[in-house]
Amino acid sequence: MILTDLQLDALAEVFNIGAGKAAASISEIVNDEVQLSVPSIEFKPSCLINADALTLNANKFGTVRQEFHGIFDATVLLMFSENSALEIVREMMNSNLSLDELAEFEQDAMCEIGNIIINACLATMADMLSMRLDCSLPSYSIISSNEIVTEITHNTVQEYTLLLNVIFTSVKRQTEGRLVLLLTSASIANLIQRIDQFLAGI
Amino acid sequence: MHSKLLSTVVNTVNIGIIVVDTNAKILLWNQWITNHTGISEHDAIGRDLTNAFNEPVSPALIKAINNTLSYGLPTVLSNALHKSPLPLYSQLNNKNEHTLMLQSITVSYLADQYHKTACMIQVIDASTSLKREKMLRSHSESLKREAITDSLTGIYNRRFFDDHFKLSIHNAIRHKQCMSVFLIDIDYFKQYNDNYGHLLGDKTLKAVALALSQQLARASDMIARYGGEEFVMIFPNFCYEQSLHFTERLIKAVYDLAIPHDVAPPHYRVTISIGTCSGLPSQNQDILDLADAALYQAKQQGRNRSVCKNLDETSTLCQN
Repeated sequence: MILTDLQLDALAEVFNIGAGKAAASISEIVNDEVQLSVPSIEFKPSCLINADALTLNANKFGTVRQEFHGIFDATVLLMFSENSALEIVREMMNSNLSLDELAEFEQDAMCEIGNIIINACLATMADMLSMRLDCSLPSYSIISSNEIVTEITHNTVQEYTLLLNVIFTSVKRQTEGRLVLLLTSASIANLIQRIDQFLAGI
Repeated sequence: MHSKLLSTVVNTVNIGIIVVDTNAKILLWNQWITNHTGISEHDAIGRDLTNAFNEPVSPALIKAINNTLSYGLPTVLSNALHKSPLPLYSQLNNKNEHTLMLQSITVSYLADQYHKTACMIQVIDASTSLKREKMLRSHSESLKREAITDSLTGIYNRRFFDDHFKLSIHNAIRHKQCMSVFLIDIDYFKQYNDNYGHLLGDKTLKAVALALSQQLARASDMIARYGGEEFVMIFPNFCYEQSLHFTERLIKAVYDLAIPHDVAPPHYRVTISIGTCSGLPSQNQDILDLADAALYQAKQQGRNRSVCKNLDETSTLCQN
């Protein structure tokens, strides 16, 4: 199964609109301007995902995870290297904690920020592609790059991966993260069908 | 029976539960919420969430509810970014600003088999865990401070110096900036301890450490207890000529303390000797070893003086 360039462009547009909405929400919460963009999108069978491209050479990731069910069956992961996740939270909370001290409630803050980004992207997709989403609560965890690569490349149920680069820009820094959608072949088939309907309607 | 049991559970759980319909009208209001608002279930049911309380609900929560109802996606409001989205009070009897409950909120989408949709707001009292975290953090900060502080003199200890020294060398090489290292030793300190006892010895160490640290003017300058009666200073971006003047000030500061030392001729008071090394460090020259050699020379030359080495010219100047 493949996605044509046109279908991928349509998805990239959908995710960029979602990212824009997420940035507006986060800016409102932290009272400072935050920008989010999704400059690139890649679709591949999960077993062919390039580990280096996925992991950005980081050893550990702060990962927000949400499970989607129903017509769109997917695991969505938003990953920032552990350091970047810490920097984002530190900046938003004006805190000065070291990595070892990243306390529970700062992790909650990262979970909320990830939840906003994932929800905004997926809600925009649901809106534009007329899909109904059913989703679990977000969870936050620190995962090693090995674990993440193994989870994706050895996934026999969710055989396809949509890999998006996410650029998070705040007043002080620009941080690169990954938005990963692990999809079953049925979900991909549904997604392609909805994208085609969307494109036909333009 | 089953629904009665369910209702009992909802009203017994130690979290707040509010369910609103697609128009944000309250469908369910559990006992926990009543306990922390003073508003009964009877008064709340059917009202709009935004005016069910006597005080406003945070716009972020309203937005989260709208998003959840529109897209069916759950939302979390962390306490770190939203302190008290709902006007809930930990202790109702003492209703003032200070007891506004710190909350962690989860907003979930509910749909029944008839596709009737609603939104559930779960509230957890975050005050206790935040208090615990604050306590742990303050312990962690004080332990961290203790780990790098010399308990007797209150200045940095050897452990801090070792890390700071490596970093300073690295920075000086990277920015091609000169630096100065000062090794300072109290003269005839063993004799002082033997003569006056360890209690007075400790008092003198503290007084000397204080006098030395009072000479530091820049935030980037560092003084640590190197061991026994020896101190070390690292000054970034501080050249040889500057170090010549600075050592004079250090020697004078300790001399002016006028602490009697009956077995230390010719001054019969507590004095120090200093070995310094200044210049642009490199990987193959040990600036600390050179400062140590300079200190040895200062001792050899009669104490209460400094010997300054210049890394750039490898020349040595002795001072009285």
